[in-house]
Amino acid sequence: MSPAHLLTAALSVSAVRGGTLSLPHIDYLTILPELIFLGGALVMLLHSALIRRTMDAATSTSWALSAATAALVASLVQWYEVSAHGPKVAVAGAVAFDGFSVFVTILVSSATLVAILISHSWLEREGVRGPEMQALMLVSAMGAMLMGAANDLIMVFLGLEILSIALYVLAAFDHRRPASGEAALKYFILGAFSSAVFVYGIALVYGATGTTNLPQIADFLSRNLLLHNGLLLGGLALLLAGFCFKIAAVPFHMWTPDVYQGAPTPVTGFMSAIAKVGGFAALLRVFVSSFGLLRADWQPAIWVIAALTLLLGASVALVQRDVKRMLAYSSINHAGFVLLGLQAATSRGVSDSLYYLFAYAFMALGSFAVVSIVGAKGDGNHRLDAYRSLGRRHPWLAAAFTVFLLGQAGIPFTTGFLAKLAVVEAAVEAHSVWLAGIAMVSAVVAAFFYLGLVRLMWAAPAADAPVAGAPAGAMASVGAATASMQPAERVSAGALASPVGTAAGQVSGSAAGSPAGAGSTSGEEAGSTSEETEEPALSTPLGVGIAIALCAGVTVVFGVIPAPLLDFAHQATLLIR
Amino acid sequence: MDSYLPIFVLLVLGVLFAGLSFVASGMLAPRKHPTAAKLAPYECGIVPDVDPPQRFPVRFYLVAMIFIIFDIEIVFLYPWAVIFRQLRTFGLVEVLVFAGAVFISFLYLVSNGALDWGPVRRLMPAVRTRTTASTVRRVAARAAGSELPGPDAPGTGRAA
Repeated sequence: MSPAHLLTAALSVSAVRGGTLSLPHIDYLTILPELIFLGGALVMLLHSALIRRTMDAATSTSWALSAATAALVASLVQWYEVSAHGPKVAVAGAVAFDGFSVFVTILVSSATLVAILISHSWLEREGVRGPEMQALMLVSAMGAMLMGAANDLIMVFLGLEILSIALYVLAAFDHRRPASGEAALKYFILGAFSSAVFVYGIALVYGATGTTNLPQIADFLSRNLLLHNGLLLGGLALLLAGFCFKIAAVPFHMWTPDVYQGAPTPVTGFMSAIAKVGGFAALLRVFVSSFGLLRADWQPAIWVIAALTLLLGASVALVQRDVKRMLAYSSINHAGFVLLGLQAATSRGVSDSLYYLFAYAFMALGSFAVVSIVGAKGDGNHRLDAYRSLGRRHPWLAAAFTVFLLGQAGIPFTTGFLAKLAVVEAAVEAHSVWLAGIAMVSAVVAAFFYLGLVRLMWAAPAADAPVAGAPAGAMASVGAATASMQPAERVSAGALASPVGTAAGQVSGSAAGSPAGAGSTSGEEAGSTSEETEEPALSTPLGVGIAIALCAGVTVVFGVIPAPLLDFAHQATLLIR
Repeated sequence: MDSYLPIFVLLVLGVLFAGLSFVASGMLAPRKHPTAAKLAPYECGIVPDVDPPQRFPVRFYLVAMIFIIFDIEIVFLYPWAVIFRQLRTFGLVEVLVFAGAVFISFLYLVSNGALDWGPVRRLMPAVRTRTTASTVRRVAARAAGSELPGPDAPGTGRAA
């Protein structure tokens, strides 16, 4: 026999032994936005590798913007496709293609578009060159999309890791501030730990049900009654812990203020919008569609987590002195509201959660865009005092921030109001009346610090310090009373001061022997000191200006004309598998 | 409950072993404290007169990253190679796409100087010139109690 014959014989044998492998049909439209984001990031890296000089911000922003726009267009095409032909699974059941996934894809790609605009202005202002920040944003956003579309726990994990690993690097991006590196290390260590917990949860669920595919898990649970379901419930608890870390729900929220404060402000905005959307998308799909039958087991846990998240987020935000930390706690509070929809565990609840996420993402991005401008060069000017009488100096900026803060507080004619109303209604419909009550109380508490910041911005500058000091002082005292940290309160001669500040003033005043100079150290009585500190002149570059206008537009337009967005979110859930 | 007994016994043994190791090392280790000379950084017999550099480039992490990239690629290539006939053209195209993505990241790393192992181009020289004669002169000057401004004395040798 000739070698050629031997070869053909061997080939045929191996072909027979191996049989024919059924290759999955890949419908590329279902993963097109993800592919566009990945391709965009690769093209940016390739381009920067091939040019001699470091890529400047304009080039990298144009690449990233085109990728985000293309992904947005692709996801709108997907929406048309899914509305016309109904939901389906793709890529051998690994990816779901339904209204839910497409809603998340549209939200993520449009939020990424805004985040890239914000990051462009930051890159230009700080003189940072290179495509890395925006390429990492694209990759991270792709992970969030994948989480929204994942139809398999393994895919959820894959999306989670793609999202997180890029975010760890992004958090450390501002290498001139040590706080940035610290934030990244904190986020990385805790995030890696929570990922490990999540994988262990997947393993336990797989052990209990024999599959990691979400519809198959639901199928298994509907056909079998587990007598010993400890393994399954343990896995469910670990999955919940992993998700709660990602969405920053109490008691897994510890990293949030530090990371939000330390990370560069555009990254904080990106993180607060995209990471939360990705985490919640996967959480909603896994819990409502796969473990819907076990809702009696997980609803109480979500109830407790939601209540804690709502109350802690709102009350601790009251006593913050740094606007990024305040917004971090406010984002924790928002996570509690989204959890209301999950706790309801109804189709209505999921739809309302999605709507809330949409409203929240743009309000958060817009807020951090304003914070990024006020932060000025060096990205360090984030004290609440920096916002004192911002309305006098930069009326448009202050007006936009007012819109975002009022939206987050849930004032009517903004998306925030409708979103809060929707999730609370969903909770009441699901007979979680007490939780709805807690949510409303937390909204009232949260309104204190949102409105306090608004008053601080529009208050007169140093001339009449009592008026300027009043909202912040009242806000801090309410916070202190809520947290019952400092019961003693003393109204000082000129300014209604915070108890903590007054105590500090008394201590340092007695030490220095001059009560008049004592107030300058404590932040609240800074009415007299703010005229001494020269506030930096703020410039609003085009990129971040467009971003703020877009976010404010979404917040107000969909707040006044809510029907399209509500219908959009409603349809997204009707098609859930 | 009985089936957990071995685990519990093992746990106790583990704790005991760890505790005993600490106690034993505390009792058995020599109690001599090292002299200052022993603790000083060793520099070929020369008395160190400048602090060792606190920050130095760790270039291995870049190599480690390149290694991980190609390691992951091999992890994917191996199962593909086992059944590549059954995967037919589809598998080939997918692996090529994957290899392309890996190659782009490799290009990016190389363009950022991850493989530049040549002489490190310092922005400022650490020690400009140091010869036997200069060292002898410096040590002699130090022994005499006066700092002779030699070519490698701090402040002149190190470009500030």
